[in-house]
Amino acid sequence: MEEFSGLHPREVVRRVSSSLGCSPSSPQVAAYFDENDDLRHLRQHFLMPKVADLPASDLSLVDGGEECIYLCGNSLGLQPKMTRKYLEEELDKWARTGVHGHTDGSRPWAWAENNIEDLMAKVVGAKTSEVALMNGLTVNLHLLMLSFYKPTQSRHKVLLEAKAFPSDHYAVESQIRLRGLNPQHSMLMLSPREGEETLRTADILEAIEKEGDSIAVVMLSGVQYYTGQLFDMASITQAGHQKGCFVGFDCAHAAGNVELKLHDWGVDFACWCSYKYLNSGAGGLAAAFVHEKHQHSIQPAHGAAAWSERLPPVKSAHSAGLPPPGQSGGKLKLPALQMMGPHLLKAAPAVFHPQVFNLTNMQALRRKSVLLTGYLENLIQHYFSEDPAEPRKPHVRIITPSDPQQRGCQLSLAFSVPIRKVFQELERRGVVVSVTRTAAQHLQGGLFCI
Amino acid sequence: MEEFSGLHPREVVRRVSSSLGCSPSSPQVAAYFDENDDLRHLRQHFLMPKVADLPASDLSLVDGGEECIYLCGNSLGLQPKMTRKYLEEELDKWARTGVHGHTDGSRPWAWAENNIEDLMAKVVGAKTSEVALMNGLTVNLHLLMLSFYKPTQSRHKVLLEAKAFPSDHYAVESQIRLRGLNPQHSMLMLSPREGEETLRTADILEAIEKEGDSIAVVMLSGVQYYTGQLFDMASITQAGHQKGCFVGFDCAHAAGNVELKLHDWGVDFACWCSYKYLNSGAGGLAAAFVHEKHQHSIQPALLGWWGHNLQTRFQMTNVMELQPGVSGFRLSNQPILLVCPLQASLEVFNLTNMQALRRKSVLLTGYLENLIQHYFSEDPAEPRKPHVRIITPSDPQQRGCQLSLAFSVPIRKVFQELERRGVVCDMREPNVLRIAPTPLYNSFNDVHRFISTLKDALDACRGQ
Repeated sequence: MEEFSGLHPREVVRRVSSSLGCSPSSPQVAAYFDENDDLRHLRQHFLMPKVADLPASDLSLVDGGEECIYLCGNSLGLQPKMTRKYLEEELDKWARTGVHGHTDGSRPWAWAENNIEDLMAKVVGAKTSEVALMNGLTVNLHLLMLSFYKPTQSRHKVLLEAKAFPSDHYAVESQIRLRGLNPQHSMLMLSPREGEETLRTADILEAIEKEGDSIAVVMLSGVQYYTGQLFDMASITQAGHQKGCFVGFDCAHAAGNVELKLHDWGVDFACWCSYKYLNSGAGGLAAAFVHEKHQHSIQPAHGAAAWSERLPPVKSAHSAGLPPPGQSGGKLKLPALQMMGPHLLKAAPAVFHPQVFNLTNMQALRRKSVLLTGYLENLIQHYFSEDPAEPRKPHVRIITPSDPQQRGCQLSLAFSVPIRKVFQELERRGVVVSVTRTAAQHLQGGLFCI
Repeated sequence: MEEFSGLHPREVVRRVSSSLGCSPSSPQVAAYFDENDDLRHLRQHFLMPKVADLPASDLSLVDGGEECIYLCGNSLGLQPKMTRKYLEEELDKWARTGVHGHTDGSRPWAWAENNIEDLMAKVVGAKTSEVALMNGLTVNLHLLMLSFYKPTQSRHKVLLEAKAFPSDHYAVESQIRLRGLNPQHSMLMLSPREGEETLRTADILEAIEKEGDSIAVVMLSGVQYYTGQLFDMASITQAGHQKGCFVGFDCAHAAGNVELKLHDWGVDFACWCSYKYLNSGAGGLAAAFVHEKHQHSIQPALLGWWGHNLQTRFQMTNVMELQPGVSGFRLSNQPILLVCPLQASLEVFNLTNMQALRRKSVLLTGYLENLIQHYFSEDPAEPRKPHVRIITPSDPQQRGCQLSLAFSVPIRKVFQELERRGVVCDMREPNVLRIAPTPLYNSFNDVHRFISTLKDALDACRGQ
């Protein structure tokens, strides 16, 4: 589908339907796109639920044997097929050799996560040495903030979105309080303009320009969980640096979704979970990034825990106990930020998803995603736009930016009717999407972009 | 074996061998103990490696089809048999229903760990509301220290063992530095007396009495990883409180090993990993304990959305409704794949109780000690014969399952010869082995086999 690259999805849809001699909303257009999708085979690497297995399916309305319409990868990604095999390998090793599993086999537990950090780094545009797989997202955010957020009298603020993901909000709030400061004064939250849903890049940059001297850390999401907005991370990082701020991103909704270049953009730190677009399962192994420019200057606040040493002496000293050469000596890439050995079982699903990603690359995924989400947008606008002639007809407003470069896979759809019933009817018919009930009762349609 | 309760293991062995008409070192004694072990059936709930599957086994020396002699549960516990089934249930649920798994099934992912916290609490003598399963041990230690370690000008020290587990040492060091203090002044480390290996309780209490006014937190291990010493947690807690200190314990080697009464002893906080005696697999889900007396007074320093009231957590209001007690310390959604093995293990613990396990353990380890002393004591008549000094306290109440054995010869070769013969244990160079017969799945026969094998291993070393 490379002949379409550079064109807006709307234009692509128009050209295809035109060449097919059908309406843009015809299923023929979807069929055409699928036939020409170089990545369609990747679906085979995942386990797609059947309609009959979903708890709310109404089999009088829909065929239970069909695959469901799973558009919820932004909340929980599907299971990679190889997961079971890899888990069984580790269970077998544990059953057969007990403690020896720390140093033997294809995933020696003492450094298993190190073995897939190169794959992870590729997905986020980082060097392997800049990435550590460990803990949960909020734990990592705290570990990073303890080192990067060093408020002074004058430079004490943390800049984030007004409707940041709750955990980020609570984390930043508590980090500020921990320093004896007041979130009212030190938590600088960016709100959209009156009547708007998303933040304008210019407004973000202006806020940084204006307040930057008092900002210690800029900590935004990469992709906003609620609106689906993709922030201009490169420009924000640059702007923050120009004012002497550290700049970090919560990439929970960005990793595996959009093209990230954490290293090239000079991002100072980042963290993400892996159970969304990285498909590692509920509560899966999270990640942290620290730019290599800081490798000697930024110290972890919680010190060098045992895992920061070359394989800790607690493991029996087989000579095989040392990692193979070329492993950076098993020494942690992020000096001492890793505080525990990730579980053999938690690491196994995390092995696979980077491997699937490694069958392609973020550039190709993104290309398909832009078209896929653009196609979704096109159809929504076609069928569900507000119609002045029929004021009582339910309609949908897309909150997410219309510029493909300012969004990822996800579209957030605001309905003109209460969402609960709509959601229930969708579920009865085998659709899996994510709903966020706020005062405005928005529905998020997530896209599974592989 | 309740007729023996109250007797020292040495005495029990003596009486049994006497009644059997054999030597205390006879395998008949082991057989007798095993036949009368009410807990022996629990072994069936675990997967015991076979000799042939171990990397270093020499099948010319030992039968590959036999079960190995696994005395390494203090380092990595064996796999509970139900683990695979529980994992498959969650994989199936994930495959079949995707995101719905958060709220459906027998282990809804959004609160799966909560469902087994009652079982966990029983094992450590706590109330369910005082225990949270989450993160890794050192992460939890840090989260707890951030709230409990509040140094002032005068009260700024942390008391711990001189040879604390490295992660604890580093954690405490960094917590001190984080406050802008100097570990040289604020890290108070307790060393054994000259010529001794373990700490005397009286010395610990005296240190607390003497320095207590300047100690903010007493943070010891429950069972010392290297020496196997079990600290008198009740007395230490009391002494610390009398001087106005907070008292916490790293129970990594204590949970599932010895009888803990964290609540009754008034321990302020504790943390532990679950992959040792709790058998949850490498890097398994760790735990934290905060005494309920603190549930409204000690606030977590670092917040995340998992500390928010579950009923309203997903409303995304960004206004924190903090759960009381240790639950407020939760930060992140926990991995469902880690809950499964831990559930499988805790269910086995729930088939018995820590009191019964401890009773067997005292006898099992006493039996091990007895045989070691019988065969490997220093012999003035044979000065060149390798001998073993047991570092771990001889008082059963001051130790858990583990015995730390200091050899009079370099240990590497001995260890290799043991491994060739199907023994799994832990080596600490230059000369220490840690042997931990575990009541859940080890037998007295395992111990007897170990001793025979150790004899062979030492002979093999001498032959070279």
